[in-house]
Amino acid sequence: MEEGIYMAKVKAMTQEWMDAYKAAIQADPEYRTIAKDWEGSVALICNADPSKGVPEPIYLFQDYWHGDVGEFVVCDKAKAESAKFVMTGDYSRWKQVALKELDATKALLQGKLKMKGDLPYVVRNIKTVNKVIDILGAFETQWPDDPA
Amino acid sequence: MPRGYAGKFLLVDLSSGTWSDFTVEDAILKDYLGGSSLGAKLFFDRYPLDADPLSGQNPLMIMTGPMVASGFPGTSRFSICAKSPQTGIWGESACGGTFGPELKRAGYDGIVFEGASPSPVTLSVTDGKVELLDAADLWGKDIYETTDILKGKDPKLKILTIGQAGENVVKIAAIGNDKGHFSGRTGLGAVMGSKKLKAVVVRGSAKPDKADDERYKAAFKAAIAEVKESALADGLHLMGSDANMDLGMISGDVPIKNWTVGEGFELSSNLSGPTMREKYLTKEHACSNCPVACKRVVKVDDGPFKTEEGPGPEYETCGTFGTMMMNPDLEAVIKANELCNRYGMDTISCGSAIALAMELYEKGILSKDDLGGLDLTWGNMEPVMPLIRMIAYREGIGDTLAEGSLLAARRIGKGAEELVVHVKGLEAPMHDPRGFHGMGLAYMMSNRGACHLQHAVLATEQGMASWPQLFDMKDDYVGTTSEGKAMLVFNSENYGILGNSMSICHYLVDILKPETILEAFNAITGFDLTSEDLLKTGMRDWTLKRGINNLLGITKKDDVLPKKLVTALEDGGAAGSIPDVALLLSEYYAIRGLDERGFPKPEKLTELGLDDLKNRLYQ
Repeated sequence: MEEGIYMAKVKAMTQEWMDAYKAAIQADPEYRTIAKDWEGSVALICNADPSKGVPEPIYLFQDYWHGDVGEFVVCDKAKAESAKFVMTGDYSRWKQVALKELDATKALLQGKLKMKGDLPYVVRNIKTVNKVIDILGAFETQWPDDPA
Repeated sequence: MPRGYAGKFLLVDLSSGTWSDFTVEDAILKDYLGGSSLGAKLFFDRYPLDADPLSGQNPLMIMTGPMVASGFPGTSRFSICAKSPQTGIWGESACGGTFGPELKRAGYDGIVFEGASPSPVTLSVTDGKVELLDAADLWGKDIYETTDILKGKDPKLKILTIGQAGENVVKIAAIGNDKGHFSGRTGLGAVMGSKKLKAVVVRGSAKPDKADDERYKAAFKAAIAEVKESALADGLHLMGSDANMDLGMISGDVPIKNWTVGEGFELSSNLSGPTMREKYLTKEHACSNCPVACKRVVKVDDGPFKTEEGPGPEYETCGTFGTMMMNPDLEAVIKANELCNRYGMDTISCGSAIALAMELYEKGILSKDDLGGLDLTWGNMEPVMPLIRMIAYREGIGDTLAEGSLLAARRIGKGAEELVVHVKGLEAPMHDPRGFHGMGLAYMMSNRGACHLQHAVLATEQGMASWPQLFDMKDDYVGTTSEGKAMLVFNSENYGILGNSMSICHYLVDILKPETILEAFNAITGFDLTSEDLLKTGMRDWTLKRGINNLLGITKKDDVLPKKLVTALEDGGAAGSIPDVALLLSEYYAIRGLDERGFPKPEKLTELGLDDLKNRLYQ
């Protein structure tokens, strides 16, 4: 990754954050090779948690195709639910995953995240999933419940 | 008598061909519940521990638990127990399928076989009617053939049988239930064969009652909802236990090339649960009353490993006959699995023994002549199929490998023993402790030798389950650290071992909330145990079996990992990592209350109500 691009903290789960995430994936030297077999969109749904500064559910849509990255947008519920894979969880769980305090696969197995979609496909391509999550750590994020 | 039990056990003296019923005191049932825990109690109280495992003095016990036949998810299980001919210490092996619930419905909580029959026999139990039948016509037949013949007489019979391996007292012989379910570990098929007991068939119509039907129904409803919500259950249904292959290859869990290589994504991709589903699965299959249906039914249409539709391999088998042999061909694994099923052999021990033979062949310790002309080059699977038969029939090199890896290596000599991955004589299953240090400790301390099913460490350390409501634990452990793992292993043993005493599938233990299982258990039995009581029951189980093993000569010197597992790998998810054995053991010994010899301390034995054991250990 090119150094110094993502120095400023980006507000989590905003369009700016999605843009930064997409750029980080595109800049990763290994991503294209690891994800060469992946086909399909992924939606991340963050349940509302007003006590943590998330008053409404947040819907994020990400399109991946054979190592390329397409549309990465904050979206509405209908678009999110149209994705090939839909991952849903509470805000605190997503934050734990992003901060690498909780492995995404373990969160899924423990019921802390839910997934709709072809599970064997995800298992077969688990390296791609892990890579995409790993890249979350490539840029600084300002979380809603972080001290200002 | 607490509810949930049939209320009696069957004692069969095979030497005299006679039988009788016996009962167990309620207080003992409450302390030991059932399954292998109660089996250990009977073994300790009634039998000479120093008996030759293949003699009539060694009992063979088939034990259900109080939840079996209740209809609660995962309660199809039963345990078979005896002193192991493979390890010489406590032996047990649990099994799912159909036999356990049917035995309970036939009127018995368990069967204990003593002595040895002069000629092959089958025990039949039908709604309390007991018969010993001549089995000369079945002797020599494999498990599938035997099952078909017996079911041909009555399709509703549930069958437990050995194949040729058990008949030939192969020390890694398994016992099969209805073709697709096996008590594989510790060689108990050889004990059954030594008694000339070819099969046990059961059929029954009784329904054990429950202490509180309404309370049970609520717990059952909660359990079904938890299964429906569980990604683990979904994954097991779709991919079987082999779902672990892809995930484990990343984390460093999967052993490769007889435990010498750390990474092999081409192997795992070809051998994985998704691949099995895409190419070979014809349907999923479930044990009695299981909503998960993790069992595979597979078929290979043509080629050298053509296999008729039948039970498919578990993850462990894809490891031993796949990655361990550098074999990327899932069709070969499916065929090897079928052969082991038919002859009746544990696929972990058999595959591990053959992978060892491949390494010995590569190193020149075994020659082609030693192998009867077989070319056991890594990944060459065609000669593996006749070698499986040779082991089952104890022919040529097969006679040596039939002893299990450790005894075989000792017979072969020339440094072969250093290449065996075992604890206390039992080959390690397909989970590498270099990737998960807690599993290393669990292997060292498991009472039947290296084992992933005498505890719930696989689930807790790898993050498949999290039970902070039961004991202090984290949601996410780093596998390649030893710090904090002793307490995790201790707690995961005390809880996970209950799967074998309650007789509930380990996967359901992982999937369901502990409070749901406990609620169902109490509703069935009327015991009204707390979770603290249950964990104490698990402690008592572990400690009794440890004490039995101590009396059989096991001490701290046996709580070790083999050389390979403390030698770091160069690549893969566990690269550079080895368990800190000294740290793990010192912390664990303190928590478990073991003294410097590895014996449970007297005060611990008294605390657990094991004064009889204390008297024998400290007399």
